[in-house]
Amino acid sequence: MNCLSPGRIGLIAGNTFLEAVRQKFFNSLLLIAIALVASSTFFQQFDFGTSELKFIADFGFGALFFFGSILAITATTQLFFNEIENRTALTMLAKPVHKLDFLAGKLLGVQLLMLAFVLLLSFLLAAILYWRESVLMGQVSPEVFSEGRIIRYGDIFIFGLLQWLKFGLLGAMTLFVASFSNTNLYTIIVSFCILVVCQLQYIARDAYGDMEQGLGRLLVQGLGLIFPNFQLFNLGDQLLFTSKEAIPAATVFQISFYALIYILAFLLLAQLSFRRREI
Amino acid sequence: MAEPAIRIQHLTKDFPVGISGKKLRAVDGLDLEVRDNEIFGLLGPNGSGKSTTIKIVLGLLEPSAGECMIYGRPSREVEARRSVGFLPEAPYFYRYLSGRELVRYYARLCGVEKAGLDTAVDSVIDLVGMGEAAHRRVGTYSKGMLQRIGLAQAIIHDPQLVILDEPTAGVDPLGSAAIAEIVRELKSRGKTVLLSSHLLAQIEGLCDRVAILHRGKLVREGRVSEFVSEKAADSFVVEGLEPDGHGAVRAAIEAGGGRLLRVEKPRLSLDAFFLKEVQLRESEHEAKSSKKEEAP
Repeated sequence: MNCLSPGRIGLIAGNTFLEAVRQKFFNSLLLIAIALVASSTFFQQFDFGTSELKFIADFGFGALFFFGSILAITATTQLFFNEIENRTALTMLAKPVHKLDFLAGKLLGVQLLMLAFVLLLSFLLAAILYWRESVLMGQVSPEVFSEGRIIRYGDIFIFGLLQWLKFGLLGAMTLFVASFSNTNLYTIIVSFCILVVCQLQYIARDAYGDMEQGLGRLLVQGLGLIFPNFQLFNLGDQLLFTSKEAIPAATVFQISFYALIYILAFLLLAQLSFRRREI
Repeated sequence: MAEPAIRIQHLTKDFPVGISGKKLRAVDGLDLEVRDNEIFGLLGPNGSGKSTTIKIVLGLLEPSAGECMIYGRPSREVEARRSVGFLPEAPYFYRYLSGRELVRYYARLCGVEKAGLDTAVDSVIDLVGMGEAAHRRVGTYSKGMLQRIGLAQAIIHDPQLVILDEPTAGVDPLGSAAIAEIVRELKSRGKTVLLSSHLLAQIEGLCDRVAILHRGKLVREGRVSEFVSEKAADSFVVEGLEPDGHGAVRAAIEAGGGRLLRVEKPRLSLDAFFLKEVQLRESEHEAKSSKKEEAP
């Protein structure tokens, strides 16, 4: 009882997911799915040949990252502040429930929502690509498809998994901001700023590589350590086509481990800050 | 139990105000003891520190100084909350769950064993009189029903101490009477109840002891009867005495060394009158309904 309780976390996560369903977050998923299908039919108007597949894949991966990031930040913020503003957190935390159980449950609940989002978009993207590849196999030169299909469909789901972990990381950071913030708006704005910093973190890494020893280098190195590098998760260019080598499983495990360490760190930071918060 | 339900010693809570470093003292050196199996009322005007004290007891706030123990365990320990049930003021619950699902959810959060879960849920729902509405979504409940289902979630894990923050605020007299009845039932089952309320008439008839807080400090603490009875006076309620007899009674009192202070008609409280009237109509209505059902 002195440590985390997986049963309680699961209960809180399930309830958070139910709340997400009730708040019609799934409607937004449906809209994104419809937009994706509509855009893939739009690409048919151009005669790109097999480049059309790359176009659709890039577009799908981009949509997954863009809409997923928005959904991860807004859903985490909304579902956290609902509990605080409606004072349901007060009733829950007056029971033998650790604050870390509460935060971990909220994060896991949002991750269930994000899993539904990632799976829906990945399946949809795979279906659209399969359909377009099948059509193109009958239209373009047979030499292109001499060794069968040119898309590794399993890679779509590897990309989806990495994005899901990135959304988890983004959710944990949002939860950390929410733990000391008083408003939804502040949390959302700060979280988006953090997203941009993490996304462009590689520039800082390049910079400190060129810097001489000193305080500046230490500072940039420190910031590089605090903010996770989101570019690590963007393997879309190296995935998908059989003409390129598959990503080794060890790399995927390393990136997953990197994400899990950061998720845990931000969750613990959120708990430290949430401990002092008046509910 | 030998340990008091709650022991608060030299409790102080300061809240920072702005960035100037100034502090607002919400609770100021409070000493308080709530004994096992008593109904204890925490009274005080708004801003007197009642809610802050309750939050510290529940481990939701850390005190600036002093300590708070629940049955001998520091209240900041999560484990101490196993023996505590809490109903917040104006509770809000997940509107999309039914009453039964809500109580079940909190039961599982409190670690109620799966084997006895259904029995425990049914038992508390019956105790609070929500059996007929338990299948309905919480979003459709009236204020009184919300308080009652709130009480059910507070006692689902069979806590020894039940803390009720303004349990009858916004509830009609019938609902308030029902809640008061549940509180008495809890006491008869050996539980300790700490309640804060502004409805002093209800506290008076319900609590064994009360404490009055003002600006975070304890003003008075003791039995209700000690505070509200005129110790130097006795009252006789007489029936059938003619107006001429008043003089004789006065003379008899004076002969006994006493002094008649006032003669007045005994009054029924408006609460009691209202309850009597409504309950009478309710029983008439029920009798008529059952007659109609019996008729072919």
